[in-house]
Amino acid sequence: MIRTFFTTSALAFVLAGTAQAQTVLDVVAWKGNEAEPAGLPELIEKFEAANPDIDVELTYVARKDVDKVIPPRLQSGNPPDVTMVDSSLVELWGGAGFLKDLSTESDWYGNMIPAVQNVMTTDGKIMVFPLEVIGMGNFVNMDLLAQAGIDKAPVTIDELTAACQALSAEGIAPMIFAGTFPAMLFVGANGIDPANNTSAKFGMGEMSFVEDANFNASLDGVRDLVAAECFDPELQAGLDPWATAPQEFKSGNVAILPQGAWNIGGFSSVDGLNYQFAPMPSSFTEYGLALDLVGPGWAIPTEAANAEAARKWVDFFAEEENLNVFLEAEGAYSPFMGGKATMPDLATPYTEAREKGSLILWPFSTLEFPKPLQSEWEDSITGFLLDIDQPNETTLQRWDDTIEDNL
Amino acid sequence: MTSTADTHAAASGPSLDWDLIRRKTKSYFAHGLVLLLVAIMLLPLFYMVMMSFKTSTEIANDPLGLPASLYWGNYMEALSSMGYARSVLNSMGITVSVILVVVLAGAMAAYPLARLQNRVSRIIVMIMALGLATPNFVTITPIYVIFRDLGLLDSCLGIVLAFAALKLPLAVFFYTGFIAAIPVELEEAARLDNCNNWQVFWHVIRPLLAPVTATLSLFVMIMVWNDFIYPLLLLTDKDKLTVMIAVYKFVGNTGIDPTKLFPAAVLGSLPLLVMFAVFQRKIMAGATAGAVK
Amino acid sequence: MRARNSLYIFTIPALAVLTLFFIHPIILTADMSFTSFKGIGAAEPVGWKNYDRIVSRDRYLDAIWITLWYTVIVVTALTITGMFFAAVLHRLPAIRNFSRAALYTPAMMSFVVVGYIWQFLYSPLNGGINVALRDLGLGAWEQNWLGNPDLALYSVAFTQIWMFTGFTCAIFLAGFAGIPEEIGEAGKLEGATSWQRFRYLELPLLGPSITVSVILTTIGTLKTFELPFILTNGGPDGATRMLSIEIINNLFGQYKFGFASALSIVMLIIVLAVSFIQNKVLRDRENVT
Repeated sequence: MIRTFFTTSALAFVLAGTAQAQTVLDVVAWKGNEAEPAGLPELIEKFEAANPDIDVELTYVARKDVDKVIPPRLQSGNPPDVTMVDSSLVELWGGAGFLKDLSTESDWYGNMIPAVQNVMTTDGKIMVFPLEVIGMGNFVNMDLLAQAGIDKAPVTIDELTAACQALSAEGIAPMIFAGTFPAMLFVGANGIDPANNTSAKFGMGEMSFVEDANFNASLDGVRDLVAAECFDPELQAGLDPWATAPQEFKSGNVAILPQGAWNIGGFSSVDGLNYQFAPMPSSFTEYGLALDLVGPGWAIPTEAANAEAARKWVDFFAEEENLNVFLEAEGAYSPFMGGKATMPDLATPYTEAREKGSLILWPFSTLEFPKPLQSEWEDSITGFLLDIDQPNETTLQRWDDTIEDNL
Repeated sequence: MTSTADTHAAASGPSLDWDLIRRKTKSYFAHGLVLLLVAIMLLPLFYMVMMSFKTSTEIANDPLGLPASLYWGNYMEALSSMGYARSVLNSMGITVSVILVVVLAGAMAAYPLARLQNRVSRIIVMIMALGLATPNFVTITPIYVIFRDLGLLDSCLGIVLAFAALKLPLAVFFYTGFIAAIPVELEEAARLDNCNNWQVFWHVIRPLLAPVTATLSLFVMIMVWNDFIYPLLLLTDKDKLTVMIAVYKFVGNTGIDPTKLFPAAVLGSLPLLVMFAVFQRKIMAGATAGAVK
Repeated sequence: MRARNSLYIFTIPALAVLTLFFIHPIILTADMSFTSFKGIGAAEPVGWKNYDRIVSRDRYLDAIWITLWYTVIVVTALTITGMFFAAVLHRLPAIRNFSRAALYTPAMMSFVVVGYIWQFLYSPLNGGINVALRDLGLGAWEQNWLGNPDLALYSVAFTQIWMFTGFTCAIFLAGFAGIPEEIGEAGKLEGATSWQRFRYLELPLLGPSITVSVILTTIGTLKTFELPFILTNGGPDGATRMLSIEIINNLFGQYKFGFASALSIVMLIIVLAVSFIQNKVLRDRENVT
């Protein structure tokens, strides 16, 4: 339908002669810049070749600045034609009626991984075309592990503590565990049982963290890591998980870094860094727990000036070979079923855990845990690391209070 | 003045030569000490420049050491993808225009406020203070809406106006303090010569403002040069992008990579430093000339 | 008298711009602070709830105290360091322009760049400062600069002081430039020491520049969010969580625009109150001395 309409209008342009200007497709994204190209320059070229009447103008806006720059444009009726969104933006902007329904009738909709489909659909509407599911787990420096006589990335708690002790005996710093992100991955992976995922109940205040055996055990697990000399808890508070911590790992100063797979590109560009990407050791599973983050997608604002061209852009990404270019550059998994594996070999441990079903969707990316809880986790887990002997209740109560406050 | 002291010393015999030598030594010592302090203040910037010439392996293994050789690869990569020259010209054009607008409108508004102490002045000063105290993020959405209505989006005039508006309270505040310190007698002489308000302002007050203007221009220049939120919001045309947007795009902000951050930081600030060096000499010349008169 | 009142015509361009770009947004913000606005879509009125939340929670009162304490540290230190360099450079004309420019360079960098440079300098493992201390044999002085809750605020403040010493120095030098040369020379002829000339002749005449510098740095520091945002983002565990960080996180992290607006209004009132008091005190002092 849309296609016929578009061909007709394209024909009209041709008939109208050469005076007609190109359609400029205004796309906003927090990927596609030099630091994180995500294959977009290549894809834009391909898209423009396939659609000679469309020029794509990609504006890079960092994720945190999207919140400042895009709402004024949406509200004043002058939005971009296509904008990158994540689950919280879909909830916020879509909920306020600023995003188009891409229709659950779309070919790709039925093909989405059910869990992702579930998260991204609101009131029978799908306002986003999901681009990726991206893993979070441990980056493991295999050369440092080899120095300590270990040849396998740890995926169980026992393997992890053994590795820590061995590394530490060799004088190698075993692990980064900054409270503002890496530690959250461990705490989450050991607090949420993949066989009985109750994240949503916590988020709705139906279950309490303080009374939950799993999360209490998870914090105890952190103490076990400290006892195994995995890290000096107080030191972790001074590390920035986005700037200095990855640098320490790249430098080969530390053996294990919990982070997201989006670092694969950057880490692989360092000569001589021999590493693997492994799932987070968890007491619930012997394979390690894969923590999948529901990544961003494309959305078309309701008042987009070039809605048809925007739709072409989205449909272009719905073609598997195009999406794979993006996924490969990102180090991510397809949000669609039966997607071709684009992950590099170094992520095999993570991929294996996923295939075994040892997997949860990160509750902050599915909005099962509300946004305010994320900053409370950052603060309180840092506080916990600074005073590791405090009762678990001190930390867990803060989470319950935040949830209650948010309801 | 030192020359009179020197001849005096020379004439009074050899014992005072020692005094001269002592004072000279002391003076060299003082100069050296101050330069050393200034150098210490600049160490972090030296660190930045040094880091920008290191390969990522060097940064990793020896964060403080000097780079083994000047590695230009980081710069090559930055330059080839930043659209550098164009964005520098844009930033300079915008910066200079904003300074002109802010200086003129600011000094004009400050003149009556400094001279008339009454309720009206106090209210206007309050409004200015309000402008100064307003957190920047409060103004983002309203500015966007106003600009859309006025058709100023994606235009150089628009971005100049927006920046000028943001820095105007600062300028008024600045000038009011300094104009108040100018003796009223200076204007009264001019008024007796039948000068009108504008002539008094232009010929008497304005020339005396040179030193403050120099300082103010600096502040404005820095803020305009380094801000990226407003250009990001108000400009979409790639040909109008500013340097900081280029830096911003190049560095990104999830996972900061030092081999990208440091060269981009140097490139982003370099034109400003050069501009500063040029401006400083020019405006300072004006300032001292003003002081002598 | 009428001729003098006509001077107010000069304020029209500035006033027009201010009304459009400040008064209007502030009114909108004040309006929003009584709603549960999420930054987009419709706004539900909630009465005084947002303000009630601010005054009834320790969290926000703590943030106000941290902001004020941070400002006291930064402004005091900036006034002293700036005055020190200005007084010294005033006496050393040969290196004055060079040093003034050199000291100013940190202030010319963008906050983002400065923030990340210091992030790398402060890093507890192989950060520049700790490595330098180790190399100098002062390993015992190594600190977890940004990770120690008792130290983090001062580390952030130090960066801000480092960045803006050249700024206050420039203001004070402009003040020194306005002092008639005869005054200094008269002091010299009477055999006053450098310190005495500074204390009794120059300092009293620097009143206006002190006022300008203190008020500007105070306002700038009260509103600042860039450095704490990049260096600690309010951490560790809230030790550096200033009002501005709280606003940013509510505004853009959690989309509580209504509540963030209420916080902004509180901040606006604090900034206005502080600068009003300072202005009064400092101007009175100027008139006395």
